[in-house]
Amino acid sequence: MIEMVRRFLRQKFDNPIVAVALAVMALLIAFPAAFSGQPSPNSGFLALLLLGAGSVSRDVSSGALQMILARPISRTDYLWGRFFGILSAFALFLAGVAVLMVVFSAAVLPVLHVLHAPLQWPALARSFAAAFLDGVLVAAVLLFFSTFLPGWGDVLGYFLLMLFLSAVPSIGAGLGKEWLTRLGLTLKQNVLPEPNFGAIFSGERRISEAVGQWALAITVFLLAAALVFRRREFAYGHD
Amino acid sequence: MIEVENVSKTYGRMGRRTRALDGVRLRVARGETLGLIGPNGAGKTTLLSCMLGFLRPDSGTISIDGRAVDDLWIRSRTGYMPERLGFDRDLTGEAFLAHHWRLSGGSPSKTAEETAAAASRVGLEGAVLGKKLKTYSRGMLQRIGVAQATLGSPDLLFLDEPASGTDPLGVAIVRDRILEAKARGATVVLNSHQLTEVERVCDRVVFIDHGKLSRDETLRGETATRKRGVLRVPAGRSEDARTILAAAGVEARASGDGALRLSDGSEDGISRAVKALAVADVPVLEVRATAELEELFREAPPS
Repeated sequence: MIEMVRRFLRQKFDNPIVAVALAVMALLIAFPAAFSGQPSPNSGFLALLLLGAGSVSRDVSSGALQMILARPISRTDYLWGRFFGILSAFALFLAGVAVLMVVFSAAVLPVLHVLHAPLQWPALARSFAAAFLDGVLVAAVLLFFSTFLPGWGDVLGYFLLMLFLSAVPSIGAGLGKEWLTRLGLTLKQNVLPEPNFGAIFSGERRISEAVGQWALAITVFLLAAALVFRRREFAYGHD
Repeated sequence: MIEVENVSKTYGRMGRRTRALDGVRLRVARGETLGLIGPNGAGKTTLLSCMLGFLRPDSGTISIDGRAVDDLWIRSRTGYMPERLGFDRDLTGEAFLAHHWRLSGGSPSKTAEETAAAASRVGLEGAVLGKKLKTYSRGMLQRIGVAQATLGSPDLLFLDEPASGTDPLGVAIVRDRILEAKARGATVVLNSHQLTEVERVCDRVVFIDHGKLSRDETLRGETATRKRGVLRVPAGRSEDARTILAAAGVEARASGDGALRLSDGSEDGISRAVKALAVADVPVLEVRATAELEELFREAPPS
């Protein structure tokens, strides 16, 4: 598993295009956040999509997966490796953003004589921890879609799922069908729950039902990914 | 032992189904080197994929030493080289081999030693190993593919067109690695269109056509079913030679380039033919026993 995580990190960070894109995203988050003293909510969501995109499908299309699966690695272990790979890469990205914020706040902005709020360390830690936990569910969803959709189909799948879950309650409200609205909201709360981790960490809210739904949704997506992936066949080459 | 029992595999959906394997039965003994030959689209790669657990047969079973093909213990003893080496092209050759060494469960303390030895055995050394795989030529990729397959001296080796796209030296290196694996008792399954190489390394070949195993020929040992004697005489003397051999009771077929193909490939048969030609003062330029797989390939499979 550690070897699979290591490979994932190498795949992502050794790729010059991905590395440059991540660096730009980190700068875009860190620079404004250095002014205000704390990062904006949903920090790094786009970076997470970039890191998680095609996590399995790329290995399938390149033929690398067959070489890995010929080794003593179970399919489930491979999937765990990809999942923890996404999470490790995302954690490294958030750590990079934090370092950049410190550099901007302590060295760059004072030299430029720009007025800025001092870094609020507790808020910063809470914000990054919340972003990371939100990312765990996104990573599980991307992994699930990547086990059967080609290329960046996992990102498309994630957005279509979000769109669908947001649309159902609105359609219900538009049609005046209360049952449809309730069904849509229930689906959204259970399939893509959004516990407010920032508020929980700051003590404004308690651990609630949403956190349980979040944990359950992650478990279900990972189990579904394992189920689909264990049944998949991988043809290669030509007879 | 690899046991393939009545395996069938179909691709596609209703209306456009292609039967890639049709009731294949095959046994590969431990230590045997088996060649899979047949035309493109015959089902060879599908069979190899089923043996490796990438594809699941629609019916029938495949086992290796009595275990499922995806058993992790079996995999820890398996080396595999695909026809198309698909891997992270940003990796250096050294990192690629080290990654596979670790994946195969090799001792971390031996990584450098083992990967360097495996690379050296395929003629890749020094600065080449520090270069990224995306800068490698097709031949170099094939070589490093063979190096990763033979890492840790596996007991089971599955090779899919290992010498495809390599230069003559690369072909010889691949052959040497197969012979080396064979010498230490490994079971080798080789899928290749390079019939001369198949003939040089394999103990047995099976011919697959339209998903069926149509021929099974043993190439070596007492039970060899496929062996022809080939003699070469000066081109202008081949008809004379054929007449002399016929008179000596040796059946031979002459071809334009002076080659005479004897139907009997035994040592005794070849020896009788050479003796008859020597007595008649016909110079013998070349003598060899061959399975002539190319001929087998051209023949229509027997019903």
